[in-house]
Amino acid sequence: MDSRKYLADKLPAILMNLTGMIFLAAFLAVSGTDGYSILFILFVWTVALCCYVATACFLRKKYLDKLLAMTQELEERYLIAEVAAKPERADDAVFIEIMKMAEKSMLEKIARIEKERREYKEYIEQWVHEVKTPIAAMKLLGENNRSDFTRELLAELEHVNHYTEQALYYARSEHTEKDYIIREIDLESVVHGAVADSKYLLRQNGVAILIDEMDACVYTDDKWLRFILNQLIGNAVKYRGEQPALHFYVTGNSTKCGRTFYSCTSSRSESRNRACSIFSCRKADTVSLTVEDNGIGIAKSDLPRIFEKGFTGDNGRRVPSSTGIGLYLCKKLCDKLGIGLAVYSEGQGTKVVLSFHINDFVTEVQG
Amino acid sequence: MKYRILIVEDDKTIQQQLKTLLTGSGYEAEGVTDFTAVVEQVKTYAPHLVLLDIKLPGDDGFAICSQIRAFSDMPIIFVTSSNTDMDELNSIMLGGDAFITKPYNTAILLAKMSALLRRAYASGRQEVLTWNNVSLHLEGSFIEYNGQKAELTKNEVKILYYLFRNVGKICPRNDIIDFLWDSRLYVDDNALSVNMTRIREKLASIGLKEFIQTKHRQGYVIV
Repeated sequence: MDSRKYLADKLPAILMNLTGMIFLAAFLAVSGTDGYSILFILFVWTVALCCYVATACFLRKKYLDKLLAMTQELEERYLIAEVAAKPERADDAVFIEIMKMAEKSMLEKIARIEKERREYKEYIEQWVHEVKTPIAAMKLLGENNRSDFTRELLAELEHVNHYTEQALYYARSEHTEKDYIIREIDLESVVHGAVADSKYLLRQNGVAILIDEMDACVYTDDKWLRFILNQLIGNAVKYRGEQPALHFYVTGNSTKCGRTFYSCTSSRSESRNRACSIFSCRKADTVSLTVEDNGIGIAKSDLPRIFEKGFTGDNGRRVPSSTGIGLYLCKKLCDKLGIGLAVYSEGQGTKVVLSFHINDFVTEVQG
Repeated sequence: MKYRILIVEDDKTIQQQLKTLLTGSGYEAEGVTDFTAVVEQVKTYAPHLVLLDIKLPGDDGFAICSQIRAFSDMPIIFVTSSNTDMDELNSIMLGGDAFITKPYNTAILLAKMSALLRRAYASGRQEVLTWNNVSLHLEGSFIEYNGQKAELTKNEVKILYYLFRNVGKICPRNDIIDFLWDSRLYVDDNALSVNMTRIREKLASIGLKEFIQTKHRQGYVIV
């Protein structure tokens, strides 16, 4: 609270007092009181007034500062009316009452919106599950009656599936609850699965696929990871160049399923005690899956913004079907799963690196 | 002997198409028609494997699964459009052997099925395919004719496997490539031509000429 402003607020009262003083002095002078007595009375009045104003200002400032500090500390600031001390002054009580009423109506509104959002999310999930049945039926129909025509249909169907999955994961990513199960998965089979999901799309566009032997195990949710890879494959197809190619490979410490190997190359740390060697490994304790294409790449000036929702940049102007959702979602899901996501592009081609942490605890237990 | 598969799926089209797919892949398949008495139909049909949807009229897939588990250990694959983790956990807890979400990749579905069947019934897989005295050894990856052998690469084995399985039928190049992709071998049209040339050279080296015929603009065939 600003003390000067407070004094300004108190100006009417001070002026009243001054007027009172003048009138009293005039009255006393007229009734024949001597000058010294009048001065003394006025002096006492002024001192009393000053003391009162100063104390009141001090106490008020203390009270309000405390309230302000409390509000700043609160995580949910709108709840201040609930935690504030019971006000002593009548007008404060009214203000607190007003705040409480405002807070209640806001909470009700938030609850209503949250309910609506939850219901909408549930509807989207349900819708996606419903639509998957006809997609599955169409896919089976196409695969049972293979021809060039159905192959094209199947490629389009893979597009449809990409978009429905995107809707599903978008709905899921907006919510804080956990929808995933972390378990040990074999990276290579997830990659093959993701490629299989886009088989016709990749073949239609003549994308050459190269998947190195991986022999790597990570702890994550396979369905989420498959979705992320599918988005990356979709991007590679969308922003393909001539003679498109897609290369998947793994770098970093390789951990085989069921058993863990520290590929610590430093012999120095091995010769020391175990705690030291674990520490030296921990820094490098990531398995990186790289998805590399030879497409049109991403402009350097666009790179910092590619994870922004709705950002399409330079490529968006070249490729009309850019939505700016794919990478945004990938980043969001990766953050939730604790996967590092980095994109590199220099003029031509794009390299997307997904880095998985190897859980120290799990590997310790297995080791 | 053909394995019998029971399809518990309420979507008519999917049921019909799955039947076509499975029959075409060498299984005997039957779809459930009356969803009020699924378990009875399982008992009368006595399948080797059940494909089970979760959302069904009447009892849901979980209930049916636990009822089947009460009297049989047959492999059960959940085939469903719902892919929440709770459903997957439930299906595993109740004794399901696999969980596949729609729209499933048919190659993955067939691979899972054959793996489960092999594990459950431990029958010797047919590892040697023979036609006109030419035998293709899948495990050893070589081809034999009149006592002469030729080693084959992974791609070549798969291509020959596909042709052997469709003896007498013309196999379009695209179908062969599809099959190879399903087997995790990502070859393109040119690579297929290269592979075919090499296969022909190898076949010629063991005295087989004109074993694989090219039908112009249609594909390859073994006759």
